Amino acid sequence: MTTIYNKDKFLNRIADQLGRKRRTEPVTLPEWKKLPQYEVFKDYTQDQLLDEFTNHCKNIHTSVVVTKRETLKESFHEAIKDLGGESIVTWDDERFSTFGLSEALQEQSDNGVDVHVWKSELGDHNIKKAEKANIGITFSDITLAESGTVVLFSGEGKGRSVSLLPRTYLAIIPKSTLVPRMTQATEKIHEMAKENGRMPSCVNFISGPSNSADIELRLVVGVHGPIQVTYLVIEDE
Amino acid sequence: MSIKISEDKFFERVDKGINNSFMRKAVVEAQGRLEGRKTQTTEELGNWEEWRELSEEIRQHTLENLDYYLDQFVENVAKQGGHVFFAEDAAEANEYIKSVVHKKKAKKIIKSKSMVTEEISMNEALESIGCTVIESDLGEWILQLDDHDPPSHIVVPALHKNKEQIRDTFVEKRKYSKSADPNELAQFAREQLRPDFLEAEVGITGCNFAVAESGSISLVTNEGNARLATSLPKTQITVMGMERIVPTWKELDILVTMLCRSAVGQKLTSYITGLTATKEEGDVDGPEEFHVVIVDNGRSKILGTKFQSALQCIRCAACINVCPVYRHVGGHSYGSIYPGPIGAVLTPLLEGYDDYKELPYASSLCAACTDACPVKIPLHELLVEHRRVIVEQEGKTSFGEKLAMKGFAFGMSNPSLYSIGTKAAPSMINSIAKGGEGSGPGPVKLWTGIRDLPTRTGDSFREWFDKRNSNKEGDES
Amino acid sequence: MKVSLFLTCLADVVYPASVGRSTVEILERLGCEVDFPKKQTCCGQPAFNSGFHREAKDVAKHMITTFEHAEYVVSPSGSCTTMLHEYEKLFEDDQVWLDKAKALANKSYELTQFIVDVLKIEDVGAEFYGNVTYHTSCHMTRLLGVQEAPMKLLKNVKGLTFTELPNKQQCCGFGGTFSVKMMPISEQMVDEKVQHIEETKAEVLIGADLGCLMNIGGRIDRKGKPIKVMHIADVLNSKL
Repeated sequence: MTTIYNKDKFLNRIADQLGRKRRTEPVTLPEWKKLPQYEVFKDYTQDQLLDEFTNHCKNIHTSVVVTKRETLKESFHEAIKDLGGESIVTWDDERFSTFGLSEALQEQSDNGVDVHVWKSELGDHNIKKAEKANIGITFSDITLAESGTVVLFSGEGKGRSVSLLPRTYLAIIPKSTLVPRMTQATEKIHEMAKENGRMPSCVNFISGPSNSADIELRLVVGVHGPIQVTYLVIEDE
Repeated sequence: MSIKISEDKFFERVDKGINNSFMRKAVVEAQGRLEGRKTQTTEELGNWEEWRELSEEIRQHTLENLDYYLDQFVENVAKQGGHVFFAEDAAEANEYIKSVVHKKKAKKIIKSKSMVTEEISMNEALESIGCTVIESDLGEWILQLDDHDPPSHIVVPALHKNKEQIRDTFVEKRKYSKSADPNELAQFAREQLRPDFLEAEVGITGCNFAVAESGSISLVTNEGNARLATSLPKTQITVMGMERIVPTWKELDILVTMLCRSAVGQKLTSYITGLTATKEEGDVDGPEEFHVVIVDNGRSKILGTKFQSALQCIRCAACINVCPVYRHVGGHSYGSIYPGPIGAVLTPLLEGYDDYKELPYASSLCAACTDACPVKIPLHELLVEHRRVIVEQEGKTSFGEKLAMKGFAFGMSNPSLYSIGTKAAPSMINSIAKGGEGSGPGPVKLWTGIRDLPTRTGDSFREWFDKRNSNKEGDES
Repeated sequence: MKVSLFLTCLADVVYPASVGRSTVEILERLGCEVDFPKKQTCCGQPAFNSGFHREAKDVAKHMITTFEHAEYVVSPSGSCTTMLHEYEKLFEDDQVWLDKAKALANKSYELTQFIVDVLKIEDVGAEFYGNVTYHTSCHMTRLLGVQEAPMKLLKNVKGLTFTELPNKQQCCGFGGTFSVKMMPISEQMVDEKVQHIEETKAEVLIGADLGCLMNIGGRIDRKGKPIKVMHIADVLNSKL
């Protein structure tokens, strides 16, 4: 049972201060005079977006590997090696098998790497595994060229901790998920919200490793979240 | 913490600030870097003014319809299993938060950075019922360890400290044994805080922007601490100022863009997290229980006044990063957790003029803040508006100043009086100028305390102009 | 073209004739007929910025009336010209005076702005030999929006060697009553400004606002630095 306390008193005071009655009828958004967000990378091809994405990732201390489907498995193993192997936690995501990566994970496991797949029924055990893991691996749901960002929707099998608790993070990015900027991603989320169903409880926009400039404004890469991040882009079209 | 961070008088605080050479060096460097990065990321857009206009429009529309959007937001929160508490003031907010924590029998609380919880002294309230409250933002954690040193900047709270001071704090409080290298210091914080995240029963966050259409809240961070605080504890409490809301995710896009670019010159910070109520079925991590506390604490009385635009603020600190006054006196001089131009506007609105009557005058009205503001708050005009209120409504100006200004206006609207003044001025100015340091009456003394006056030699303009014209007329006849 | 000079109270009362004289001579040389309404006083900014808006209103009305006849109002000060543009804010509830205030704002220009934007002249034929730097005053650049005009004119002054002032966008610490009310802060600001001026190795600091120049110059003199402070009108009126 949920509760909302003091709503009317609070909102009436706001309306009073604004010198009018409470707004109860739906308010329509005005036509904004300027819409500069649509100008960014307007009419860019996926190749151009990928160039922008790759370039920007240099600024955010993130390695980008671009690979074809044929060479994906090889690049995947390479990326895991670069991040130090040892132990992996991944989303329970059908895209791993779509792209033939379930097999690759099996190979990792066969070679002695501890591979854990986030399974809802295992409950908090998942968190313990993620906390100890060296590499977290997820797919990107939407990818933003402008800011080098992967957008992740949480859900069953798709724990928030996978991209957060391990020491490093590997994001698998189908090139088809690339869009110019946050605008296109928030539009999709806006559509989800309008459909009035339940939103994913957590949407993360991740742009590279965690960092801080709180000490003398000097950039430290890797604070509470992953300290190293690799993006593996698949030319899937 | 509360809004007020010092019992010292204004000029005592300023004096301390001016004499703190490390802090001043740090601020000058920080302003240079932050402003440089901001300029770079805003100029590369090529149409920054359009972004500003759109942002201003969004903020104005939202404030004009604030009751509607808050209503929509909280109904959506409730629909998805979250609890909502509207708090008129700090006491109400703290009572509710304490009651939630009490019901959960929670002892350990992990917090991500939030100005509004500082504003309402929430940590102290929770500590009073025996809880341990841990700040997890690196800067905030440093300040908390250092016996609750107040923040001096709203984005980089420990800006006034150098790495050696931070190392000393870690050594003293946490038996740290490594160097003052920021990498090692941050690594130590990671190791120290990880267990706290895993053990804490309650996570408390602020809110950069709530999204009305979906009942979501968003958090803009770089360190990842806010993600941890909202992924691991079983209960999440989010505290937000009532104005921190956008209609839909489309407007969230714009304001997050503005915040990241203006605050730190990043296109997006490392993490932008959108959270909607409790975890869903099938989710493992994320809170089982979610509360949002919406705080008024003096904000509603700003609505409908000439100061309404101050509520457009998105807490990016761009105004602080360009302010020449902040540059020399630092954040603590403002005596408030909100420093700089926005602090000088906001603090007297929230706390009254009694303790903060100097703040509106601590500005040369150079308007660098107004130019820098991504949501176009006319900050320098609001400072003048404060001065007007102080003069006309509060009657807090000195008798001397009142007399001087009345005299000024009388003289300046009466040409004959003005003309007497212009004639008397040269000899007066010259005699004061000769007197050197600190000579002259009243305010003039403050001028000559540090500067010379120009010397008047030869004709005044009026004398020259008259002579020339009479010569001309002579020539013509 | 008929131009009415708004001298400003600093040029009128505190400083000797030169700034006003240079302004008149330049404008005349460029073909303007200059009139000086003798009833003019001060723009009222000290009262306005101190929050004494009732008092500022009296001054504004006087100034609006004094310049009602003018075709153009030109002033050797970015800050005071800005104030003429601010009068509108004082008369939000008074349509008659609001219209008059708007009319004044529409015809008021800072000197360099007038030369470049209205007269469309960028070379006034001046000669000035020396190493100089230029202080961009805040009100002129940010509020009046005049950024290019002074530089365009200075670029065409023969003999002038120009070095850009580091951190030029930063306020000098004048701010009218701020300079005395917040003296310790103002002192730090003007000291930093003087330090940057010294870094340019300029012999002359040029500016377009006597308020800033009085502040910076006063500090330079107090510290005994060998730097001369000049109003841009005097530079543009220089000839060998």
